[in-house]
Amino acid sequence: NMSPMKLCVPGDKLCSAEDCIPGTGVYLRHGYIYSSLAGYVLRKNEGEELPVISVVRETETQLLPDVGAIVTCKVETYKSFRPGDIVLAKVISLGDVQSNYLLTTAENELGVVVAHSEAGAQMVPISWCEMQCPLTHAKEFRKVARVQPEYLQA
Amino acid sequence: MAGLELLSDQGYRLDGRKATELRKLQARMGVFTQADGSAYLEQGNTKALAVVYGPHEMRGSRSRTLHDRAVINCQYSMATFSTAERKRRPHGDRKSTEMSLHLKQTFEAAVMTQLYPRSQIDIYVKILQSDGGNYSVCVNAATLAVIDAGIPMRDYVCACTVGFVDETPLADLCYAEENGGVSSLALALLPRGGQIALLQMDARLHQDHLETLIEAAMTACKGVSKVLDEVVRQHLQEASVLTGE
Repeated sequence: NMSPMKLCVPGDKLCSAEDCIPGTGVYLRHGYIYSSLAGYVLRKNEGEELPVISVVRETETQLLPDVGAIVTCKVETYKSFRPGDIVLAKVISLGDVQSNYLLTTAENELGVVVAHSEAGAQMVPISWCEMQCPLTHAKEFRKVARVQPEYLQA
Repeated sequence: MAGLELLSDQGYRLDGRKATELRKLQARMGVFTQADGSAYLEQGNTKALAVVYGPHEMRGSRSRTLHDRAVINCQYSMATFSTAERKRRPHGDRKSTEMSLHLKQTFEAAVMTQLYPRSQIDIYVKILQSDGGNYSVCVNAATLAVIDAGIPMRDYVCACTVGFVDETPLADLCYAEENGGVSSLALALLPRGGQIALLQMDARLHQDHLETLIEAAMTACKGVSKVLDEVVRQHLQEASVLTGE
């Protein structure tokens, strides 16, 4: 499915646009596909007529989030979060000229991961919309993320 | 006439090179781990250090944000010990500002900025020892640093400073030649496609010589690109050996 990896540098002509579909780390010019990174050439057969050609580096530095990427962020709205909560959110848009990224927590797996109560203790989730303080037993509203059990620390 | 001859009758220059010969070019990538990309480059006695950060969110003036591509922010500076006499003002002077602007224009032509809208890429270059061809050495060092950072580029950017003496173009000028009354021209080239990213000259040159000089500059740049290519490939191989591929 994948052929052995070959070294390439920016500007290297990899193949014609008729042989492959351009992936990441490459660009199209005058009907040919050129590399734009220094790394290894990867040809993958995704099940379509032409293989997808891309260039990868060992250290995949995640430079900027793209649409669909999962990111962590601190938030400031009061409805389902409080200032200082750690939240898992998804990027839905890169925004327009004035505003920056638009994020959503409208999924079961997204929402508050770590929150502290008004007393200052770290709260325990008791449902998808409530968390409880272990010291005062007071409940507070949060939009809780459904984290897989194996990722929860005792 | 006694004194230093820029080009002797046998065709040798002040440092013993031939007219089209480049200075010895040595470079290393990834010299700093805390920066996203870095490179150290020596061309003869001129030494430059280039550091790249980014792409990251716009810092400072948000008003300079471009909605469809990244902003490239370049800063050129010289170390106070880089010249024969200790430099009083390493950055902020006219020459540094002009160089920074030229570097910015050069890399805007090669870096694929449209992949990172509303972000910023910083390129800082410092000359540690100045012996002519400062702009060219900066461009070559910065190219390696940008590649080290993993920022996509159309092609390498290779630069060289050339001059005209006695109807002969001299490639890769050193400080003595630059200040010896040679009409010098600096060219930054994308070698694979043969496209010129920047061409700069502020001396007096006869119109008939211009084409010859540009040709000589392009040949010299292609020579530089071969050496840079070797450096990049070797760095990739070393990195793959370390990760055990």
